[in-house]
Amino acid sequence: MATGEKIWYKNKLWYFFNSLKLTLGVLITLAVVSIIGTVIEQNQQWPMYVARYGATWAKVIKTLRLYDMYHAKWFLFLLALLTLNIIVCTFERFPPKWKSLLKHKPSKYDPQSFTRIIENCSQNHSVNFSGGKSAAKERVLSALKKKKFNVVEYDGDGSLGMYAWKGAIGRLGSDFTHISLLLILLGAIVGSFSGYKDFKIINVGDTVDVPYNEFKVRLDKFWIDYYESGQIRQFNSMLTVVENGKDVLTKQIWVNEPLYYKGVRFYQSSYGQSWSKIEEAGIGIVNRKTGEAIGEPITIKWDEMLPVPGTKYSMKLVAYSADLGIDEQTKTVFSQSQDPNNPAVGLEIYENGKQVKEALLLLKYPGVFQALPTSDKDLVLTGYRGIMYSGVSLNNDPGTNIVWAGSIVMGIGFFFAFFVFHRKVWVNISETGGSCQVKFGGIINKNNLLFEKELQDIADGVNNSGSKS
Amino acid sequence: MILSLLFFTFSFVFYLLTALLYVGNWVFKKKWLGQTATAMSIVALFSTTMILIVRAKESGHAPFSNLYESMMLFVWAVNVGYIAMEYKYKFKVMGVFVMAFEFLAMLSASLLPYKFKSAEPLNPALQNKWHWMVDLLSKIGYEKYAIGWLDFHVFTTFIGYAGFAISCGLSIMFLLKNRAEEKGGNNFLLDAFPESKILDELSYRTIAWGFPFLAVGIVSGAVWANYAWGTYWSWDPKETWSLITWFIYAAYLHARVTRGWRGKKAAYLSVAGFAAVIFLYWGVSFILPGLHAYA
Repeated sequence: MATGEKIWYKNKLWYFFNSLKLTLGVLITLAVVSIIGTVIEQNQQWPMYVARYGATWAKVIKTLRLYDMYHAKWFLFLLALLTLNIIVCTFERFPPKWKSLLKHKPSKYDPQSFTRIIENCSQNHSVNFSGGKSAAKERVLSALKKKKFNVVEYDGDGSLGMYAWKGAIGRLGSDFTHISLLLILLGAIVGSFSGYKDFKIINVGDTVDVPYNEFKVRLDKFWIDYYESGQIRQFNSMLTVVENGKDVLTKQIWVNEPLYYKGVRFYQSSYGQSWSKIEEAGIGIVNRKTGEAIGEPITIKWDEMLPVPGTKYSMKLVAYSADLGIDEQTKTVFSQSQDPNNPAVGLEIYENGKQVKEALLLLKYPGVFQALPTSDKDLVLTGYRGIMYSGVSLNNDPGTNIVWAGSIVMGIGFFFAFFVFHRKVWVNISETGGSCQVKFGGIINKNNLLFEKELQDIADGVNNSGSKS
Repeated sequence: MILSLLFFTFSFVFYLLTALLYVGNWVFKKKWLGQTATAMSIVALFSTTMILIVRAKESGHAPFSNLYESMMLFVWAVNVGYIAMEYKYKFKVMGVFVMAFEFLAMLSASLLPYKFKSAEPLNPALQNKWHWMVDLLSKIGYEKYAIGWLDFHVFTTFIGYAGFAISCGLSIMFLLKNRAEEKGGNNFLLDAFPESKILDELSYRTIAWGFPFLAVGIVSGAVWANYAWGTYWSWDPKETWSLITWFIYAAYLHARVTRGWRGKKAAYLSVAGFAAVIFLYWGVSFILPGLHAYA
């Protein structure tokens, strides 16, 4: 490509995105507008905004999507501007930088140009050395090597040259950091377009399906650990992964400790007393007419079938509702709330192995529904032992790993950018009579104070006259 | 509780003394005052370290779980940063501002309401230990000293805060010195400041420490949130403010690339950045609701 030729994409727009002013503008704008979303509570119900800010301001909030600001188009537009800015700047700056890093050594030695470079350096020294050229060279070399510089030597007529450098990789720190930001952004985008989140209430002993996957998860146990003072220490669930009918993995999860299986994570996120299942119930047999109890109540487990003593029937515990409600349309029972306001159990009644009835027993209202079809006896619910459920969040986010990869690259980038400095030093040694004049100067991309001290150390290392240079 | 209070009281007095000694050194320019001030800052550091250690013993976990404990960590980190800087660059005038700031921080910590101070056992969401570390330490029976994302997250974040605090002080010194230099003439107190060019450079160097540490703090917080809640970012006010702070310092670092933004404008950005840090640290905890309500 001939120099001076205009490259097709290098138009005004390109230079707009290449400008550092844009970077500063977008960064400061982002910082300022981000405040809004921390002051206005996000993702609340519409009436809340009207009540708090009044109808006019609520309308502004709605129009600008300030109720979900960080997903609003104008906010994403700002992020997109920053992204384009980063991409264009990297394209513009990286290739020449890379070239200069590869070809940084002077190709030939010319004492005059070396001296000129040295004199133009912001940091330069001139030290007298009493001794020959080669002795001076050894002295300078050891001083530079002590500071871990890489050195190339040049021989000239009557004088010697050296070029030393270190920390060139520090130059790439900003590029690593910029690429890491793009990676993190990419991860966030991947996460928002693929992957899913879900939340499952699992009763102890129950197995639930995992969306988009063949395997299921069973909750074996839920329990709470306490401190001696009575404060809650931790919520725990024992989860088992069931695949093709076989238990493949059992793991105890707690807050901060998810279960991971085939790309899906399971998090402990809530718990409570189940409103749709119990461990066991106490069933009393009573005289239907008088309501008098006949014998001790029977304890029946969930899904267990037991004979009803003194009758031809058997019963099976199949349903529970903490707050019994009946859907008028579908004629089905359900729980109106999670609290045991109106506990009821459902029994299936069998005669000679054939189901003859579904019975509903209410703890608070014994005898309102007849349980046994033809008998002078009836059943009442005398009590029950509930079970816990565990609320488990499911999360599959393939973008997460990209975000972590980006974070690692960012760490490397920061290390290079802030703690590795690119230093270049030019040395010129000329001999006159029995002594030498050692001139050297250098540049550093950052941290001048450090470099000043380093070059002074080198000067002191070379100087053998006893006087300060 | 008693022992950590004792060390708190000691530190409180030590920071006051240290600040006064640095002021004395600044005004009277006596070498022995400067040396005593430096020695005193080390004594104060030791005492602050003891607060943290004793506190950890009392609560049974790393002392990073409420506002008071994090304040002690902050004071500690600023002191470490300052001593390292004084050792490296030998400017004692900074000590006046840093130690006065430390004293104010101790004062505000002592004024915190009780609920932000008491040593509590960790709630479920804060319990996190690295498995590999527990496994490693359990071989020698020290598994209770294992740390986790909470400790790492808080520690790195506060190193960042400390860097920004020192940088803010340096930027204010820069602005004062710069004005004096522009006006010319002599000023008995400002003449003791290093050149404005050096103050500008040092302010940049401290931000160059703070910025990556804040980034590591944010990222480790994200990793931990992903373990605890299943999302690495949820635009919680604390998260958002940490990002705001990060944006401001990112602007600062980019501003320095262009000449025109060095010096004054950069110094103003640094001060603005630290104002954001203060809000991020205290404002969010007290004013805005969110996941970080405990600290």
